[in-house]
Amino acid sequence: MKDRLAAAIKQSRADYTEIRVERTWSSAVAFRGRRLETATVSEDQGGFVRVLNKGCGWGIASFTSLEELPRMVARAKELSRAVRLDEPISLADAAPQTADAVLELDGDVRGIALSEKKKLLDRYNSAMLAVSDKIVDTQSSYRDEVSEVWYVNSEGTSLYQLRPEVVLSGTAIGRQDGTIEKGLESIGLRKGWNSVQNFEPQFRAVAERAVALLDAPRVRGAAYPVILDNELAGVFIHEAFGHLSEADFVYENPQAREMMTLGRRFGKPALNVGDNGAATGLRGTLPYDDEGTPTQDTPLIKEGILVGRLHSRETAAKLGERPTGNARAISFRHAPIVRMTNTYIAPGKKGVGFNDLIGDIKLGVYACGAFGGQTMLENFSFTAAYGHMIRDGKVAELVKDVVLAGNLFQTLDRIDTIAGDFMWNQMGGGCGKGGQFPLPVTEGAPHVRIEEALIGGDV
Amino acid sequence: MIDYLLERARGKVDGADALWRREEQTGVAFESGRLKAAGVSEEAGLNLRVLSNGRMGVAGTTAAKPDSAELIARARASAELGEKVELSFPTADAKSLPPIPTFFDRTANASLDDLIRMGRLLVERLSRPDCQVNVAVEREVQDTAVGNSAGARGEYRATGIAVTADITRIAGDDVLMVFDQYVGADMPTDADLELLVRSVETRLTAALKIVTPPDGALPVVFTPAGLAAVVLPLEQALSGKTVLQGSSPLAGKVGRQMFDQRLSIVDDPLMPGRPVSRPVDDECVASRCNALVEQGRVGQFIYDLETAARAKTESTGNGRRGIFGKPHIGYTNIVFRMADGGRHGATLSTTDLGGGLIADIQDGLIVDDLIGVGQGNVISGAFSHPVGLAYRVEHGEITGRVKDAAVAGNAYDLLKKIGGFGNDGRWLGARWSPSMLLEGVSVARR
Repeated sequence: MKDRLAAAIKQSRADYTEIRVERTWSSAVAFRGRRLETATVSEDQGGFVRVLNKGCGWGIASFTSLEELPRMVARAKELSRAVRLDEPISLADAAPQTADAVLELDGDVRGIALSEKKKLLDRYNSAMLAVSDKIVDTQSSYRDEVSEVWYVNSEGTSLYQLRPEVVLSGTAIGRQDGTIEKGLESIGLRKGWNSVQNFEPQFRAVAERAVALLDAPRVRGAAYPVILDNELAGVFIHEAFGHLSEADFVYENPQAREMMTLGRRFGKPALNVGDNGAATGLRGTLPYDDEGTPTQDTPLIKEGILVGRLHSRETAAKLGERPTGNARAISFRHAPIVRMTNTYIAPGKKGVGFNDLIGDIKLGVYACGAFGGQTMLENFSFTAAYGHMIRDGKVAELVKDVVLAGNLFQTLDRIDTIAGDFMWNQMGGGCGKGGQFPLPVTEGAPHVRIEEALIGGDV
Repeated sequence: MIDYLLERARGKVDGADALWRREEQTGVAFESGRLKAAGVSEEAGLNLRVLSNGRMGVAGTTAAKPDSAELIARARASAELGEKVELSFPTADAKSLPPIPTFFDRTANASLDDLIRMGRLLVERLSRPDCQVNVAVEREVQDTAVGNSAGARGEYRATGIAVTADITRIAGDDVLMVFDQYVGADMPTDADLELLVRSVETRLTAALKIVTPPDGALPVVFTPAGLAAVVLPLEQALSGKTVLQGSSPLAGKVGRQMFDQRLSIVDDPLMPGRPVSRPVDDECVASRCNALVEQGRVGQFIYDLETAARAKTESTGNGRRGIFGKPHIGYTNIVFRMADGGRHGATLSTTDLGGGLIADIQDGLIVDDLIGVGQGNVISGAFSHPVGLAYRVEHGEITGRVKDAAVAGNAYDLLKKIGGFGNDGRWLGARWSPSMLLEGVSVARR
C-alpha cells in the first residue's frame, strides 16, 4: 500500500501532497431493553488527498473507491489552484518520519466471535435490568475496531499505523409515574477484548443511580462552592480550557491571539494543565497525528500561567511555534484539524484528599460524573450525571439536573484547591468540532474545588 | 445494484431489503474572510437487511465493487444472532410514490466558481472591524435506490446546499459568536442571502452592549434557534421506539390534551425544496405527512418497519438507514403549524429579534442559543443550560446581551400554556418554527 501511495504522490505535480488511506474493521452489538438490536461486522475503507500549490489554498478530496486515487490526486490539485491566496499557507518544518507503529491490541477483537461479544454485552445489559423493576429501558452498546492507517506525503514521510479501539456504553432509564431519570456508564479504550471483561459493578451502579435519582430533588439554581469529581473535572478542563488552546482558534485572529497571549495568568499557582497524545493505552493516544507529526506531552498551563497551545503544521508555522502532533481527523472523510488528545489537570500535592476540599464548605455542591459538555469558548456548560449537596463540610442529599455554567476567565481562576488523587477517565463518547464527531479523546484530573460556580435550575 | 443483490439473496434468505446511496459533495471554506480550501468528496455504499429463519440481520459495505456473496453471508451471520421479528416488507410500486421535486439542476450544476462567488459575497457583506468572518458553502448531490424482496422499488436524486456564516467578535475578554445558515435543496436566491446577512447583523448589533442578567421565574422568548432545547424532548418522546420501550412520557396519551391548544406540529417529508424531503423512506415505504401534535393533543408517533411490527402498528415512513447499521426511526422536516394556517416562508421584514413578542415583557429574556443542548436527561423534558446568546428585555425593549446566566425548565410544563407565537417563522436546518414566548422559565445568574 505504501508503495502505491508513494507512486501516486510522485504523479502529483503539486508543491505539497499528502495521502491518507484507512481500512477499518469493526464489529458492533447493541441491546435496547431485553432485546438485541444489532450484531454486525463491517469493513469501511477510503482515502483522503490534500495538496498545496504556491500562492494557492488547500485542495482536498475524499473518496471510498481507492481505484480513483490517481483521479482524486489530480482533482485535489485543480481545487487547490482554484483557491487564490495573497498570503500563502506555509507548513512548519517537520522531519520526515518512516515507521510502522502498531499499538498493542490487548486481545485482537478480530479473532473473537460476534456471539461472544453479544454474550458480554448481554451480561452488562442484564446487570442494569436486574437492579429494579423501575428500570424500564436500557440502551447498551459494544463497538470495537481495528483501524489500519497509511499516511504518505511528498516530504518523505511514510507511516503505517494500527489503531485499536473498544467502546462500551450503557444507559439505564428509570421510571416512576411521570418521572424519568437516567444513568450512564461508558468505557472507551485504545485497547482490545481483554480490557473490557469485568465491568458488571459499573453497569449495576448506574442503574442503581437512575433509580435513586427518581426520588432526588432538582438542584436549586444559584452560585455555589463546587467540588468536581475526577470525571467531571476532566470534562471541565476539556471544555473550559482545552478548546481555547487549539491554535486554529487564534492563528488567524489578532484579538484572539491577544486574549490568549502566552504568559497570561489563567489560574492560581496550583493549576497545571497539559495534553499528552503520547501517553500509553489511552483513547486519545496516537504515535503520530494525521499529518505524520509525532505526538507529545504539551504543557498548556504551568503554575497558573499560559505556556503553550496545540498545533497543526499550518497553525504552528503561522504563529512561529512548533507542531505538537494535534492535527487529527475522525476518518478519511475529513481533513485533519487541531484537536485535543488526552487532556489533563495535573495532580495537586500528594496527600491532599477529598476531605481537605470539602471540610470548610458550609453550603455547596459535589458534582459527579459527566453527561457531557459544550463550549462557546468564553462560556461553556458541563453537565454532571448527578450531584450531592454539601452541608457543613459533609456530603449530603442526592440532587439531579446539575448543569454548571462556566466562564473561562472566572471559573479557571476560582479553582483554589486541587487534590492529589489523579485519574484518567477512559470514557466512551468523544469530542465534536467542525462537523467531526466523535473523536476519541480522554481526560484526566484529580478532584478539584471551585470557590464559586453558577449552577442552573429553579430559583 | 439493488436488483442484482436481491436476486442473489433469493433462496438464501426468507426476505431482504437494501439501500444503495451515492453522495458527491463539493465545498469551499473561507476562514477569517479568506478563501482557504476547496474540497470534494465521493462516497457510495450498500446496506442489506435480511430475514433468515425469522431473524433479522444487517450488513453494509463501502467497497467500490461490492461482493454480494460476501455481503449476504455477513448479513446472514448477523441474523443468526438476531432477534425474531415478523417484518413484512411494503409492496408499493415506484409509480405510486408521491411526486415531489428533490433534484434542482441549478444546485447540481453550480460550478466551483459559483460557490466561491456566493461565499465571497457573504464575506464582504459581513466583514467589519474586529470581527472574524467564517463562511462555508457546501453542495451535495445524492442518488438513492431502495428495494425489497416483495418487489417494491424506489429511486430518486436529490440536491442540497448549505451556506453557513459565523462571526466571532473578541473585545478584550469578551467572546461573542453569532451563527446562521441557509439550507435548501435549491440554490439560495439573492433575497435568501440577504436574509442570512440581516439575521446575523441584527443579532450581532443587539449583542454589542452587555447588561446584567435578570433572575427569577421570567417570561422568555425562545427564537427558532433557541427552541432546540424545548423541542428535543418532544422529538424523543414522539418516537415509536421510546414509546415501545416504555420510556416516553407521551406513551398511552394519543388524543390527550398535553400542550397548549394552539400548538400543532407535523413531520412532513413532502415539503418541496427541502433537502431531507423524499418520495420514499429508506425502507421503501411511501412518504407521508404525519401529525405529531394536533391542537395540543398528542397525534401520531413515528415508526420504521421493525418498530411498527413490534408495536403492532404500521410504519409511518420514517425509516432511515446508514451504510453500516440497521434501519432506525428518523424525523424528516419538523414543521410547526400555525393556527392562522401558517406562513412557511420568512420575509425580509421578520428579522426583528423576538418576532414581535416582546412588547408586553416587563423583564425577561430572548434566548437564541443555549450551550449543551441534548446533554441532560432530555427524555424527562427537563433542561438546564447556560446561555450562549441571549438578550435582556426590559419594558418591551431589548436592552442588551446577557452573559453568565442559565435558564432551566421542563418542556412539558412550559408548553402547556404558550404566551404567543412570533411572526418570524423560518427554517433552521430541517425544522420550521416561529419564536415562542414561554412563561415562568427559571433564570439563574452568578
